[in-house]
Amino acid sequence: MKKWTTLLLVLLIALTSILSACGTSNEPADTTAAEPTAMTEPTAAPEAAAAPEATEVPEPAAAAEPVDISMWALASVTEAGPPADDWIAYDRIRDELGINLHYTIIPPQGDGETKLNAAAAANDLPDLFMIVSTTNDRDNLRTYHDLGLIAPVDDMFAMMPERTKTHYNNPVLIDLDSFDGQAYGLPNPPGITNREGLVIRQDWLDNLGLEAPTTPAELLEVAKAFTFNDPDGNGQDDTYGIGAFIEGSGVGRRFNPIFGAYGVVDLWNFVDAADGNFGLNVRDPQYYEAMKTMIEFTDAGVIDPDWPTLTKDEFRARWKQGRTGIMWEDFAALTNKSNYTPFDDNFPDASWTPLPALTGPGGEHVYGLNEANFSTYAVSQKAADEGKKEAIARLLEWMATDGYYLIGFGEEGVNFNLDEDGYITLDGIDPDLAFNSPAMQPPTQLRGTAFYNTLAEISARYPNYETNNGREMTPIKTYLEFFQSQQWIEGFAKKLIPPPENAADFYRYYDEGILQFALGQKELTPESWAEYLAGLDSLGAVQFEEGARQTLTDAGLLP
Amino acid sequence: MLQSKTRDGRWFQIGVGIFLTTVLLIILIPFWRVIVTAFVPLDTYITEGVPFFLPLKKWTAEAFTQLMGHTQFTIALRNSVIITVLGVAISMTLTIPLAYGLSARNLPGRKLIVAIVLFTYLFNPGLIPVYLLVTSLKLQNNFLAVILPPALSVFNTLVMMGFFEGLPDDFKEAARLDGANELQVLWHVILPLSKPILLTIGLFYAVFFWNEFFTPILYLNDGNLIPLPVLLRNILISSSLNEFVEYNAFSTTSVESLKAAGVLITMLPMLLLYPWIQRYFTKGSLVGGVKE
Repeated sequence: MKKWTTLLLVLLIALTSILSACGTSNEPADTTAAEPTAMTEPTAAPEAAAAPEATEVPEPAAAAEPVDISMWALASVTEAGPPADDWIAYDRIRDELGINLHYTIIPPQGDGETKLNAAAAANDLPDLFMIVSTTNDRDNLRTYHDLGLIAPVDDMFAMMPERTKTHYNNPVLIDLDSFDGQAYGLPNPPGITNREGLVIRQDWLDNLGLEAPTTPAELLEVAKAFTFNDPDGNGQDDTYGIGAFIEGSGVGRRFNPIFGAYGVVDLWNFVDAADGNFGLNVRDPQYYEAMKTMIEFTDAGVIDPDWPTLTKDEFRARWKQGRTGIMWEDFAALTNKSNYTPFDDNFPDASWTPLPALTGPGGEHVYGLNEANFSTYAVSQKAADEGKKEAIARLLEWMATDGYYLIGFGEEGVNFNLDEDGYITLDGIDPDLAFNSPAMQPPTQLRGTAFYNTLAEISARYPNYETNNGREMTPIKTYLEFFQSQQWIEGFAKKLIPPPENAADFYRYYDEGILQFALGQKELTPESWAEYLAGLDSLGAVQFEEGARQTLTDAGLLP
Repeated sequence: MLQSKTRDGRWFQIGVGIFLTTVLLIILIPFWRVIVTAFVPLDTYITEGVPFFLPLKKWTAEAFTQLMGHTQFTIALRNSVIITVLGVAISMTLTIPLAYGLSARNLPGRKLIVAIVLFTYLFNPGLIPVYLLVTSLKLQNNFLAVILPPALSVFNTLVMMGFFEGLPDDFKEAARLDGANELQVLWHVILPLSKPILLTIGLFYAVFFWNEFFTPILYLNDGNLIPLPVLLRNILISSSLNEFVEYNAFSTTSVESLKAAGVLITMLPMLLLYPWIQRYFTKGSLVGGVKE
């Protein structure tokens, strides 16, 4: 009897085991880090200081019950957590729009993509959601489209006239979110574009009586002086001309000033794309010339010799220590008060001057590739079937008009004030409640959905301040606007190019080859260069280029 | 330690000593570096990076203060504790009776049942079926979504089963002679004799649930339900983007210090548990229990 009791017990538990086995593996999921998506970056170039106009938001249908809208979007500040349940915006959205908003912060990078894909596979996508992808958003959008999981959104533009004017005014982005002539995505304005640039230590130039360089040859001379002529006057041989680290393919975009002078920045040749010469930049004879110039710099010993192995943090630590005098840097990483302060404390009388693009022997002066990220919202087919598109449009329109300040900065008079020109100010605001205080990050997590890159927005986020020696630091005016005024090549389309099948092998060969030439580990001759290109071809470079060309042609981005 | 009297033996011992010391250093040096990185002040980090030896007066707990002072830290810690405690309780409740039943050699169809259990170990249904199951059970935004799917580990069950099999049958027979039923045998006889394996398996489960990262991301949409590993990752992602954001919560410490502090905070509770539990591993709990 006892035997059978035990058997029964075991059978029951075994059944439990089978059910439980529908569990995930104990192995950790792949959480490969990827570049952050656009929502973690601020928004784009300033164009207008105008605050959004309030529009007549259509009254919610007289229906008594509010519509439930589930919304998944990346956080603006990942660490800060979601808005509280009693967030004032929830109340206003319910009262003014007749919508019960259920906002979920979706994790960035691969985790967010997996979460979305799991929901998609279960036909459980939220009503409104942001596309998250570690490769490119369009591929994921296409997958959802092909599976019939997302609804066309063309008809929604007319339902949100003000937002369409301010947010959906870039036809290229709409095209990138379209299939078969119909838009399936609502592209948010990109993050701040063209935000990096070439800067030089003005005090070092002054100390040595030098002029700012305008060509690669002049840059080399100035870099030599910075390296060998004690530009800081401390009597020690402790400086280098150029600081850099590898960021991007090949030697990375920190060397844009050199490669831009030959018109060959980045992996792809977007410079000549309109002329039908789209392909890998290394095929351009100018790339060979640029590489020869690059080698002159490394041979001269004017670049911080650790550059191939430095991390971003280490690179930044070095310019803050006064070790280098010329670099390519992000405007906010250089001038944001929190980033600039350590440098300012070390060298209160120093300053960085932004420089224009260097002009190469052929007259080229490309500054860089504009490959700004933008995020896309999609509406699930399920939501469309339930008749929620109109409510979603109402919500998005409100966030761009009546709810703009509330979503972006909090409550006027409590979290911010507006000055007479319509700019955000913190005058008279309790610092603990200021829109940029830690406490106000959760209630403004959706600000990326409201913002559309006005000067007022950007000025609020990157304010002017006074340095230790009383100089006024103006991050936007002096640096961002200068960088943006240079010649940038449109590279939005890069986001669409699918990686090669053997991506790891291909990119490793590509990067290591370029680096070996740049560091002099491999002599650069026409023969060795041809051999390198042949190696790329053996790894499928031709097919990679054809695939990229086809993708961009299909998307209407190449002639 | 045995003293080797021959010359070769001494060299062998020296070789073993050098080898073990090397292994120890290989383990300790990275760990030491993590500790120093977590405590290095920002100005030192900026000027000289992470030194191998940091003068005692320079040590700062700023990274820990930043992390633990985060508004969501307490909430996430509470969530992690709930998931771990509840997860271990449910897992042990399921694992113990299954392992005990399977350890009975005279169980009819035992091989078949073990095969069925093993089948679930070898063939995992994958992410989507589990997601469908969890959502159909309406378990989203519920800690049970994180706890139930992996609640019964076949590996842990087999380990525990092996331990139960090694217990002398005489104990069980003696209890049965006294009129105990199987549950009473399990509760009053087997479990008290099985502290080492219970603590070992409990620790396995605790470590697993404490480190749970992926399933909370999948199923816990409410930001107030996220556990500590998810929060720490969010903080690290955010802090590494300081250059891009206007809100810089961590200007008083470096990203690397935050990462290292996050590692230490996450591993510390489990690190403290191990030595406490280890004493049970060495206990000869059965000594004297059976007279041969």
